[in-house]
Amino acid sequence: MKKFTIKTTDKDTLQRWFYLMTLGRAIDNKAPAYLLQSLGWSYHAPYAGHDGIQLAMGEVFVKGEDFMFPYYRDMLAVLAAGMTAEEIILNGISKATDVAGGGRHMSNHFAKPEWNIENVSSATGSHDLHAVGVARAMVYYKHKGVAYTSHGEASTSEGYVYEAINGASTEQLPVIFVIQDNGYGISVPKHEQTANRKVADNFVGFKNLKIIHCNGKDVFDSMNAMTAAREYAISTSNPVIVQANCVRMGSHSNSDKQTLYRDEDELAYVKEADPLLKFRRMLLRYKRFTEEELKQIEADAKKELSQANKKAIAAPDPDPSTIFDFVTPEPYHPQKYVDGTHNETGEPKNLVTAINETLKAEFRLNPNTFLWGQDIANKEKGGVFNVSKGMQPEFGEGRVFNAPIAEDYIMGTANGMSRFRKDIRIVVEGAEFADYFWPAIDQYVECTHEYWRTNGQFSPNITVRLAAGGYIGGGLYHSQNLEGALTTLPGARIVYPSFADDAAGLLRTSLRSEGFTLFFEPKALYNAVESSTVVPDDFEVPFGKARIRRDGSDITIITYGNTTHLCLDAAERLAKDGNYSIEVIDLRSLIPLDKETIAESVKKTGKVLVVHEDKVFSGFGAEIAASIGTELYRYLDAPVQRVGSTFTPVGFNPILEKAILPNTDRIYAAAKELLEF
Amino acid sequence: MKKIGLFYGTSTVKTAEIAKKIQAAFGDTTMGVVAIEEAWRKDFEGYDNIILGTSTWFDGELPTYWDEILPDLDDLKLKGKKVAIFGLGNQVDYPENFVDGIGLLAETFEAGGATIVGLTSTEGYTFEKSKALRDGKFLGLAIDIDTQADKTDKRISDWVAQLKKEFN
Repeated sequence: MKKFTIKTTDKDTLQRWFYLMTLGRAIDNKAPAYLLQSLGWSYHAPYAGHDGIQLAMGEVFVKGEDFMFPYYRDMLAVLAAGMTAEEIILNGISKATDVAGGGRHMSNHFAKPEWNIENVSSATGSHDLHAVGVARAMVYYKHKGVAYTSHGEASTSEGYVYEAINGASTEQLPVIFVIQDNGYGISVPKHEQTANRKVADNFVGFKNLKIIHCNGKDVFDSMNAMTAAREYAISTSNPVIVQANCVRMGSHSNSDKQTLYRDEDELAYVKEADPLLKFRRMLLRYKRFTEEELKQIEADAKKELSQANKKAIAAPDPDPSTIFDFVTPEPYHPQKYVDGTHNETGEPKNLVTAINETLKAEFRLNPNTFLWGQDIANKEKGGVFNVSKGMQPEFGEGRVFNAPIAEDYIMGTANGMSRFRKDIRIVVEGAEFADYFWPAIDQYVECTHEYWRTNGQFSPNITVRLAAGGYIGGGLYHSQNLEGALTTLPGARIVYPSFADDAAGLLRTSLRSEGFTLFFEPKALYNAVESSTVVPDDFEVPFGKARIRRDGSDITIITYGNTTHLCLDAAERLAKDGNYSIEVIDLRSLIPLDKETIAESVKKTGKVLVVHEDKVFSGFGAEIAASIGTELYRYLDAPVQRVGSTFTPVGFNPILEKAILPNTDRIYAAAKELLEF
Repeated sequence: MKKIGLFYGTSTVKTAEIAKKIQAAFGDTTMGVVAIEEAWRKDFEGYDNIILGTSTWFDGELPTYWDEILPDLDDLKLKGKKVAIFGLGNQVDYPENFVDGIGLLAETFEAGGATIVGLTSTEGYTFEKSKALRDGKFLGLAIDIDTQADKTDKRISDWVAQLKKEFN
């Protein structure tokens, strides 16, 4: 491998490096001035002291081949990768023309998705999982390239960083993890993060992983390290950690004051190590440039900054009327089953068969479909409930495979992999049971943010399947419903079918749609007779379209999931006992919510009972009841009532479970009371 | 004894203090003092006996003033010359890279053909790792004025006595 040295590197290259470093530092130094002038850039994490490694990251990045996941301090990395000073300032002062996301994401979060310089979370390190995911796609599609992901040494304390490095090691993926070690996580010295001073040493036992140490303050050492890392990652399809020792010359950010915890001696010591001044001294010492030449380059950089600044300040601000743009992408619209109903007759299928057959049909149709999760593919086994049975034998280990027991990894790599091509559609079993999905919430939030945060440039096209709910005697960790917590996050579609045909139809629509869908499966109904239906082979159900499962005129029961069947039972009993006419609406989609069908029914009946399995307190029914109360109060003859589980966990003993979860009797009683109001 | 060249960062405080003590311990011996900030390869080649002084920065790096001269030392011609190295470190706060600078300089100057002299025992020091170690000995004199200041003067006088025997 060719080595970069002060003596042998050609002058044009040295000039470009010095120009980029000078320009980058000038922007870095100017950033606080925008805040002082109330122009923006209210979050600024200076990179000074990380100059060598950041220059190298950008220089080694190959546009069109590589993906870069920079963190919030990586200004020079993206500048060296080709972003302009103007683009950096547009992000800093959050303009509509900011290429990262039109001023939607925080300042100092530089990105250019068009070039695969990715827009990432402020939860630094979480993008390691995305890098692993996109590298998985590179290997699958035999694409030559690497994924760079970068952050400080303190972020390696995060579990998702370990999950990412473990996964890249296990799957043998070309990911370069750049650890920019400046000794501090904000004010926390690194000895309080981990026992090894060089955190990369924590990973020495990981198989297939190469660890390269370099001086991140030195341009040449950093260039040689990053060049070697890329060559190794591409030639062996294995991950690399580049541990770059840096210094943080400034405070962590403008909300931090380093003089509260760093003394004058330390700050002077750090200043002595200024990478830009070192590089400048070497250019002179080795007579590669004269003082006059360097001054000219510095003047040119200053001029570019001045021009970029003028253009950026004059750029338009975001339009507040656009805030609802790009929350979720336009979904697939069913052509044949426009309202998601059918009249087909024949042999009923159960829920698990309907899901399994739909997955297989869509995987046959679209070769860019993938499925992974825990325990989902080993010989004859296809998940604890056999939902994915037979898929790996048919579609191969490249498309259907087991994931480690790491839910954040399952979700994060799905996000990353879907960045590789817009036509990829991923299905993940988010956890063995919905109850175990909580460790993935960080990545769930990421998926809900992506489309909006990038101003519509990137949509994670993922369907997350989760076996949810109780009624199986499963106790606290096999009975949970998550929709009460997750429907508050904009950016996901959330569906919760109750019948086999609706499950098949919603899954097909999800797999054909752009965007992120959470697909709850009521596991108590997988093999239940009451949820079995005839399922047309090509059935489709549009998002946001409820289904009236029983027509009526006295009251409206709004429900979904397991309780749909309990409500239908209660309605039948009420019809028999009192000749009441009960309308039962199965929402099917929670987000988007079919307010039109609800409104029509409320106008007809004037009385509403909302029923779901999840807790009444702060459950999704609270939103339904409140929106009916706000938007349809004119048509109400009684306050909206709700039935759901108690505000407790679900107990394991069947006596406890019965006392906690809603049942037909409770629904019957609540409906009757409402009918008699 | 042939002429000695003493190379260290003259703009430093602690390293310079030790360098001056070493210079004094040699007594009347003629000694050329060269500021490493301005030195070049040829400056080393002008001496038969060479003393190098360095601290260790951060997690085991040479200070920039040494780092910046290293590219010029890639084809040193020091065959037959003897090089002794003293290094400053802090074995309590930085036990994983204690006096690494000694080892880094030894590597460079050995590659240039020099013989490293002035090796010392690790007895009396407590640390975890050091690039200065070879066969259980330091490749020079390890000074810890942060945590063992009281031992510095004796360590210097012993080392200088040793060098007087080992130098050309």
